[in-house]
Amino acid sequence: MATTRRTFLAGSAATGALGLSLSNAGALAAPADARVSAVAYGVLSATQAATLDAFGDVLLPGARASGLASFVDRQLVLPKEEQALMIRYLGLPPPYTDFYARGLAALDDFAGSRHASAFAALPAALADDIVAAIAKGSPLPWNGPPAALFYFVVRNDALDVVYGTEAGFAKLGIPYMAHIAPPTRWPE
Amino acid sequence: MPASADVVIVGSGAVGSALAARLSVAGRRVLILEAGPARANRDLVSSALWSRRLKWGGAPVLDVGPTPIGHAFNAGYATGGGALHHYAVWPRMHAEDFVMQTRYGRGLDWPVTYDDLRPYYDVVQSEVGISGDAALEVWRPPGVAYPLPAAPLFAQGEVIQRGFSKLGRKTSPIPLAITTRAFRGRPACLWDGWCDAGCPIGALANPLTVHLPQALTAGAKLINRATVVRVASSADGSRVTGVEYVDADNVRRSVDAGLVILAAFAIENPRLLLASKSRAHGNGLANASGLVGRYLMAHLAALLYGLFNAETMPHMGATGGQLLNQDHYPKLTHAKEQAFGSYQWLIAQAVKPVDLLGIGNTRPELYGEALHAFMRRAAQHFGTMVAIVEDLPVAQNRVELAAEHDRHGVPLAQVKHAADPSTKALWQAAIADGKAIFSAAGAREAWIGPQACVHIMGGTIMGRDPRHSVTNSYGQTHDIANLFAAGPGLFPTSSGVNPTFTAHALARRTADYIEKRFSELTS
Repeated sequence: MATTRRTFLAGSAATGALGLSLSNAGALAAPADARVSAVAYGVLSATQAATLDAFGDVLLPGARASGLASFVDRQLVLPKEEQALMIRYLGLPPPYTDFYARGLAALDDFAGSRHASAFAALPAALADDIVAAIAKGSPLPWNGPPAALFYFVVRNDALDVVYGTEAGFAKLGIPYMAHIAPPTRWPE
Repeated sequence: MPASADVVIVGSGAVGSALAARLSVAGRRVLILEAGPARANRDLVSSALWSRRLKWGGAPVLDVGPTPIGHAFNAGYATGGGALHHYAVWPRMHAEDFVMQTRYGRGLDWPVTYDDLRPYYDVVQSEVGISGDAALEVWRPPGVAYPLPAAPLFAQGEVIQRGFSKLGRKTSPIPLAITTRAFRGRPACLWDGWCDAGCPIGALANPLTVHLPQALTAGAKLINRATVVRVASSADGSRVTGVEYVDADNVRRSVDAGLVILAAFAIENPRLLLASKSRAHGNGLANASGLVGRYLMAHLAALLYGLFNAETMPHMGATGGQLLNQDHYPKLTHAKEQAFGSYQWLIAQAVKPVDLLGIGNTRPELYGEALHAFMRRAAQHFGTMVAIVEDLPVAQNRVELAAEHDRHGVPLAQVKHAADPSTKALWQAAIADGKAIFSAAGAREAWIGPQACVHIMGGTIMGRDPRHSVTNSYGQTHDIANLFAAGPGLFPTSSGVNPTFTAHALARRTADYIEKRFSELTS
């Protein structure tokens, strides 16, 4: 009986309200697809997106393939009240685009000062070295939002794309059990 | 757009909706102005990501104190307000919570006692539906037993319960405003752990399910994207005459009202009063005491996390938890540790992989493959509980108007909150208690979360003396008879329990008061 009600809700109320059916929702371009097909970003530059993907992929391997940069970019394009980013909880004044831009610039500067390279171009071992310094607390030089906060925000973004979706639950063996299934993985 | 109403209610959250229901059923023309967008149950998507749209999306609150209150996480911004994503843990306050100054010389007294509120707790629970076990909940103050049977126990609750038992401690089912069987046309909960994302099936008593339908059926009007920017008052300052708001098209409008109720939560209520100053009210409306915005409080959450050998199914149950323990509720339990106040354990919350309170954030120092490995272990073996720690009222903890303004020209709210040393000591005592319990429960790893705030209260406190409070026991401002505040902002002390049930009991009492005196109040 429980399954019947859940199935009914997933099949009618949610999808009907949003003008989608489950079949055409699946046909929408996913952020990972957007990366592969080089769809233009709305807010981030290609360099910023590459840096964000590279940083997130060290924080949680698989974040890049799960569409991290596209996820963040698409949320930043939406009005604040529609955004699905963790940063909106943290009491920081919007717009958040500036937070990401300054954090990514600080990350690149830090990587440049330590290894004479943009972060996204670093080999894995050196990228790990940079992230380890940030995770420990006080990378220098760091000219951006607090490094610990930037780490916290992007780490959460990475968790969101890897484990916050139905596919992510499945990786952990957790039944998703939606009352109303998400019409897309995150607001588009 | 109505040009006038008997009653204008600012905010469609828990108490705004409850008051609208009572007053509109009584025949009053009620207009609810909600700053956020329209939401219906069909919008409550089961997803931590999608559900972030339910959180605060209005003007930023500048949280500048050393113990940030976390307004954006606690508040809501849509039809139903913060109650749309609330966890529905509805315990009653205890008798001693209402008389702390008299009994202990600490904090403030309420202008009502438990006995005054008891019948309102009883009637609200009979209408809203609370599940629990009054007999097993041995700490519960007197009152009618719960109308719904207790919530089921899942593996996580069983595991942690053993820790309490080994230490000779009790647990009871947690009282939840969630249906455990069909109730008044609502289905029983499925225990899927999606409360935090909003309950679309009507099992959890959010405003969309219980009070707003009553209000709208009885004729109340609700306008979304109506941001109230000012409460208008008469030239002599003796009456409020209505409100001014900015609508969805960015047009500034006025509506006349016989009576105005501010139900916009503990930050926006004082912000609006302070921003509505006039020649007759130079320090803000209803602020002759100078206390509008003061005594802001927020519970400190003491978060315990652990990994257990048993499979715990941590995704199952209710977001609010499965079990309750109030053994350490008496105010002086931890006096030796320089602590004062009450706390309760909410045990075995349903948790999902991500979000601020999700599994991944419990170990923020982990990244890379170590984070993946932790996620895989925790998904099957995680356990958690949280102590709700009483925050003592401190006059210096307050909402003020900032120098910055929102897009409508209203000064932003600036919040300064610093937990009292006795409160911080109580948080430490709760942490030590929790570690002992998790050890007894056999946790193979146990750790804690950061000191975080939940449940914002105060800012428009009630009291008997107009010199020392903003409103009387009904939320009626001492200075202006037809202006009311509602919600947890009225609380003079925070207690050690979740505030929503008490806010509802107070609102029910206020509705009765208004209805009996409506002609007098609006003449």
